Amino acid sequence: MRHRLSPRASGNSRLLAPLAILLAAGIFAVDTIDQFSGDVSVLYVVVPLLGAGALRRRGIVLSSLACIALTLLSFWLVHGIDASGGALSRCLMSIAAIAITTLLVLKNQATSTDLSEKAQLLDLTHDAIFVRGMDDLVTYWNRGAEAIYGWSAEYAAGKSTHQLLRTVFPASLYEINQELLRSDRWEGELVHTKQDGSAIVVSSRWSLKKDADGKPLAVLETNTDISQRRQAEVEVLKAQADLAHVTRLTTLGELTASIAHEVNQPLAGIVLNSEACLRWVDRDKPDLDEVRSAVRRSIADAQRASDIVRRIRSLAKKGDIEMSLVDLNDIVNESLVLVRRELITNRIALKLNLANRPMPALGDRIQLQQLLINLLINGIQAMTSSDNDLREIIVTTSIDESNQANVRVQDSGPGIDPDSAQQLFKAFFTTKANGIGMGLSICRSIVEAHGGRVWVVPNPGRGAILQFSLPRVEKDAES
Amino acid sequence: MTRGPGLASQQQGNNGIVPPTVLVVEDDALLREALSSLFRSVGMRCQLFGSAPELLNSQLPDGPSCLVLDIRLPEVSGLDFQTQLGKAGIHLPIIFMTGHGDIPMSVRAMKAGAVDFLTKPFRDQDILDAVNGALDRDRQRRERDRALSELQTLLRTLTPREREVMAFVATGLMNKQIAGELQLSEITVKIHRGRLMKKMGARTLADLVRMAAALRITAPKK
Repeated sequence: MRHRLSPRASGNSRLLAPLAILLAAGIFAVDTIDQFSGDVSVLYVVVPLLGAGALRRRGIVLSSLACIALTLLSFWLVHGIDASGGALSRCLMSIAAIAITTLLVLKNQATSTDLSEKAQLLDLTHDAIFVRGMDDLVTYWNRGAEAIYGWSAEYAAGKSTHQLLRTVFPASLYEINQELLRSDRWEGELVHTKQDGSAIVVSSRWSLKKDADGKPLAVLETNTDISQRRQAEVEVLKAQADLAHVTRLTTLGELTASIAHEVNQPLAGIVLNSEACLRWVDRDKPDLDEVRSAVRRSIADAQRASDIVRRIRSLAKKGDIEMSLVDLNDIVNESLVLVRRELITNRIALKLNLANRPMPALGDRIQLQQLLINLLINGIQAMTSSDNDLREIIVTTSIDESNQANVRVQDSGPGIDPDSAQQLFKAFFTTKANGIGMGLSICRSIVEAHGGRVWVVPNPGRGAILQFSLPRVEKDAES
Repeated sequence: MTRGPGLASQQQGNNGIVPPTVLVVEDDALLREALSSLFRSVGMRCQLFGSAPELLNSQLPDGPSCLVLDIRLPEVSGLDFQTQLGKAGIHLPIIFMTGHGDIPMSVRAMKAGAVDFLTKPFRDQDILDAVNGALDRDRQRRERDRALSELQTLLRTLTPREREVMAFVATGLMNKQIAGELQLSEITVKIHRGRLMKKMGARTLADLVRMAAALRITAPKK
């Protein structure tokens, strides 16, 4: 069943009008010359039928009237005024036949005009629209599809779309078809390959067409090319990553003193242990137990130093965003390595309330560490600028009812006044004398790039609470 | 590498005298242990503390001791601790350990009387020299304290009159002048003076003057 919905003016239609006139003339001749003309005049019905292909509504009506006139003319020429009852009734039958045919033709034409106008509307859209049977063979292919994919409707007709477009599905085709049969529709993103070999990302919407008994007949697929949008999104992500990198370096700059301490500490340990070690060996009776424990401490210190250097390097490195399955509890602990000394220097007590279950989330480890470090530094700075006696930071991780992984950083600083809370995450908003207002705005872009959100939890009269949530990933999903 | 000071302390320890004790306050457990190992390897005793309050809550040693303190400590910072100790009348010599770039802190600490300052990472000899210097200082202070308390004991054996006479003698007045001041006979002053010299164990006038200075005895002003 192939029904083209977009009829084109073909060469044949221009021949139809002369043919119809020729035919009408022939019928008239036979009808007038022949004595049994009443039978022949019925053949005039062919004229409006032919005209339907070439003429508009008025033309068809006029040609029908002409045919009726010709019928009456030949009747008068042959029979004169006093015709027999039989001839008259045959003549009237012919006229009735012409009139009925004309009406049918007019009605049919109205319907098909309507249809072709609708089909033309489908051609106006920039989206690719095609209809494929349950066997995946194309039965309709609009102009948008021609423009986007490069294949003409004639070429695409009867081809399998998935093979023609080398479709890459987000899930298995079986699952998608199950979904389609269950809910009559499916939406998702597909990757298609165009005629020129380039790939595009389309947002695809499938609708199932069924017959009266509910048996699936065909699928209407509407595809919007979102490659450019996707490209723009990628560029935004890249710009965001660059900015995150720069602010990360700024943050590391702020932490220089703490980081120097963190690195110096194990180095001092290594030097002292090694020298103590020599002294234990050089004694009259070398104390090997002391030597052993000194060497062990040196090793532990060396590992500690290299761990810190690695942390800093990974934060300072400019890398692409790498999404992987991470545990937010680990991220918290890793971030604290670099901030711990800052807490000690400012004499801030740290309370950790980590969820005692894994908190898997999909994210970029470095960016999430940056997020945590920023939130912690924000809290630290809020407290050092105030004279509050109570100085503590509480980091809480939890999973809420809607299966979101939540991380909350609470400080005991002066808090956030409700007016500022609105603007807190905007770029260049700062309440600090020498702040540039990037820290929290970067936090927001990081969280949003991870499909989560970050907000201020109201805590009137007490310290500030900043919280972010990320969609939790089931560990099984990975396998 | 010279190990002189270390060995000297070690010998001292073996001679039955109370060995010197180094008190270490450092929040980093690994570094704390390393310092302990180093000090013990040269025969010093070592007490370790993770924080300043921990030290304040424990019994301090009797013998010569000094304090090795990280300038950045949790809870109470090294500098604040220094102030607290001063207020509590604990005059332990303090050696500060500091990270890179703590110059303003160092200046403050030195002004408040820190003995030495070591920037991490430092060599063992540096800290041992610093500790030995600090311990010497503590020994001297303890010696001074001991001598002073002996003098104070002796001073308590004097009669009020003898004390008065001592004060005038120490300011350099002659017997005749003192007699005039106290409205006593010169001979009586002489007797008082002889007694008090004996009681205080001063062989010469110079000895007595030094003692009066140590005891901060001055003549009453008119």
